[in-house]
Amino acid sequence: MDSGEILQTLGNKYSAEILDATDEPVSAQELSDELGIPIATCYRRIDELTEHDLLELHDNILSDDRRRIKVYRRNVDEVRVDFDDELTVHIEERSEVTNKLDEAWRTLSER
Amino acid sequence: MIEQTKTGIEGLDDILNGGIVKNSTTLVSGNPGAGKSILCLQYIYNGVEKYDEKGIYLSFEEDESDLREAAESLGFDNWQDHVENGDIKVYDKQVLLRENDFTSSLDILLEELEDGDYDRLVLDSLAMFELFFENEKEKRTYLLKFTDILSDSGLTTLMTNEQGAVFPDTEIGLENYLTDGNIYLIQTPTDTGVNRYVWVAKMRKQNIETDIYPMEIDRGGIDVHQNASAFSMMSEEESPI
Ligand SMILES: Nc1ncnc2c1ncn2[C@@H]1O[C@H](COP(=O)(O)OP(=O)(O)OP(=O)(O)O)[C@@H](O)[C@H]1O
Ligand SMILES: [Mg+2]
Repeated sequence: MDSGEILQTLGNKYSAEILDATDEPVSAQELSDELGIPIATCYRRIDELTEHDLLELHDNILSDDRRRIKVYRRNVDEVRVDFDDELTVHIEERSEVTNKLDEAWRTLSER
Repeated sequence: MIEQTKTGIEGLDDILNGGIVKNSTTLVSGNPGAGKSILCLQYIYNGVEKYDEKGIYLSFEEDESDLREAAESLGFDNWQDHVENGDIKVYDKQVLLRENDFTSSLDILLEELEDGDYDRLVLDSLAMFELFFENEKEKRTYLLKFTDILSDSGLTTLMTNEQGAVFPDTEIGLENYLTDGNIYLIQTPTDTGVNRYVWVAKMRKQNIETDIYPMEIDRGGIDVHQNASAFSMMSEEESPI
């Protein structure tokens, strides 16, 4: 992935805040409410972050009024920028153990 | 009627009023040397020998050879045969802790669970499993998810926990609340050795005997004395409660 592009995505207003807030799965509406981000912008940022694998669609959960809601979770634990040789962005993905358990757990209801 | 999984340790099954609730997760707590690993070995071994139920033994603490030697010292003579023919599946610390390999072990394990060939599982110990998570919240979340997965896969699970019996001043760990059953193994020093006890503190969905019962570890494994009054062999001040 192009390092400059990732930096650009991370640098957009609200991107870092969104990643910070998505340790646990959260919906776009919740992010918008909690962080005070206009909902349209919120969706745009979510799309950009998801496209670059920094955020992932975690699940479609059922809301209290029985609607499907998409919840997102961040995919990264750490981002490191290296200028030493040439500009490189190192992305430390979330621990795979939690990912695998999440995945297995999510499929339980589908079995 | 709730389905039960027998430990195959007669006295313990009696205290449990039949056995452990099927598809549940029980925490086996106790100080070092209290007999947690032995209880787990016996649970898995009895499963195959007496009830035709296959078992998975996950050990972060010991090698496959340690387990084999422990089993043989207890007179579980067919342990190795069962391991070799797959009725007992051992994931030892060599496999689980190979660098970065817990994720791949987890992969194999989850796949195995999906096939649904096994009925019993042991995780020795929970403390080691929890090292893969970063904070208390993650530990709780993933313990619950893991127990859900095990239960859904038709497994009845024992997890060991290095924690002494609950005296007024010991804090009760969150693990105790998050699991369906709690069994404590207690040992108190005496002039000639140790006195051992077992206490079933909880078993969800089931009526249990909550007294503390004396037990012994010898060839054959753990033997629980069914008569709680045998506890009176101890003098008052020696009593752990
Ligand atoms: N073959 C045997 N015959 C009699 N007693 C035995 C035998 N094997 C082990 N023991 C006793 O059982 C004790 C160990 O039990 P076990 O290994 O299950 O402890 P544990 O609770 O798992 O401890 P740890 O927390 O250190 O893993 C030994 O200290 C020993 O006293
Ligand atoms: Mg042990």
